[in-house]
Amino acid sequence: MTGRFQITRAAELESLQVFRGFITECCARYGIPNDVVLDLKLAVDEACTNIIEHGYKGMDPGSIILSFRIEPDRILVQITDFGHVFEPVEAPKPDVEAALEDRELGGLGLYLIYQTMDNIDYQSSEDGNTLTFTKFI
Amino acid sequence: MFKRLQVKREPTKSGSSTESISIAQLIGDANLPVTIKALNSLPENPKLRLYRTLIPIQVLADFDINPRTWKNPDKLPQVKLDAEYGSDKVKITAWYGEDPQNEFFYLELADNLYNGIDLNFLIVSNPLGQRFRTDFDEQGRETLFGTVHRNCAEEEKAMRAGLAPGQIREGLRSSQIVFIHIETFLTMMAHHAFFLEPLSYVSAWIFEKRGFAYSKGHQLMDTIHREFQPGGELHKALDGSTPFRQPDQWQTVRGRAWAIHDGVLEVIDRKWDDLRMIKQVGRQAGVNTFPDAKY
Repeated sequence: MTGRFQITRAAELESLQVFRGFITECCARYGIPNDVVLDLKLAVDEACTNIIEHGYKGMDPGSIILSFRIEPDRILVQITDFGHVFEPVEAPKPDVEAALEDRELGGLGLYLIYQTMDNIDYQSSEDGNTLTFTKFI
Repeated sequence: MFKRLQVKREPTKSGSSTESISIAQLIGDANLPVTIKALNSLPENPKLRLYRTLIPIQVLADFDINPRTWKNPDKLPQVKLDAEYGSDKVKITAWYGEDPQNEFFYLELADNLYNGIDLNFLIVSNPLGQRFRTDFDEQGRETLFGTVHRNCAEEEKAMRAGLAPGQIREGLRSSQIVFIHIETFLTMMAHHAFFLEPLSYVSAWIFEKRGFAYSKGHQLMDTIHREFQPGGELHKALDGSTPFRQPDQWQTVRGRAWAIHDGVLEVIDRKWDDLRMIKQVGRQAGVNTFPDAKY
């Protein structure tokens, strides 16, 4: 069971639904369990929202390239953009223990990706910023 | 037609770009990018061997230019390489006939601030095609592809002859092979991607087909497509008020491009500027902002 698919859309909120649909469609081809599909969609949603809101901040939004690769024991999702560099390790960790009224707004995106994915890799180089996450199946 | 193609950015450094180490760059770690400035500091022969790969053999052969000697059957030079020692640019021009100003191939690459490479210009046109004087206005001033001044009478003729904004002759329809050569050259120099600024809507559309994505302006392209649909603001602005704003122009890439060149984006408070596209070497992005487009 292997396969590779890709979709490219503008970095705008309207594209999120397209990206979610893309993940759903890819997973349906391979009969991926629903809980895995939901985790992948959540992770893609959070990562792309971050790119839309921060990655292309102050710029006329460019593209987001979302690719989906399935191997016998894992799914790899790769998200490429060409906006500002974002360093996941430098992002402030949300205080999920704090009382709801004391918490900062937002900031949960990366936390949720870490919680739902088995591996995360981020690279910024001359060919853009690429976030790759892996989910074992 | 293209302007400003760039290889980007925060590179894993190739080390110093001082002239004295150019050969060291070439024989060093093959994964580290090499600058144009370093290449230009090479002796003439290796420099020529490397830069010669940038012009597709087919393009030269079509005009009886020997791809090795860069001469025509009369032994007259038809290609010029400008790659001065110390310069961070390389320019290659090829012409048909006796006048070197009559270029049909023009390519300029330059180092950028991020240790990448910009392609400042790449023009490939048919030297045997009809020439339109869109590059000079009626006062004889250079129009710079119609971006600074315009020669509307010549532009209208060019449009009716099937040209795109910025063209003085029809293209050779060889962008695909030219890009393969550029990508191969950039890979040889260990660059992984390159950027360009599309001169016109036509250029952007062609680059989408060639596998480019947008680092800036994807949303603008989506907006343009949406607003050119019946009922959209750009569609309404095709009111016949100028030869470049005819009602049926929304249906074709060239029609839209001429209307945009004519300033129609003003009605949505936008301009055709600051778009940048990226081609990752070996990757087809699959962007298509004008589905089922007719040229």
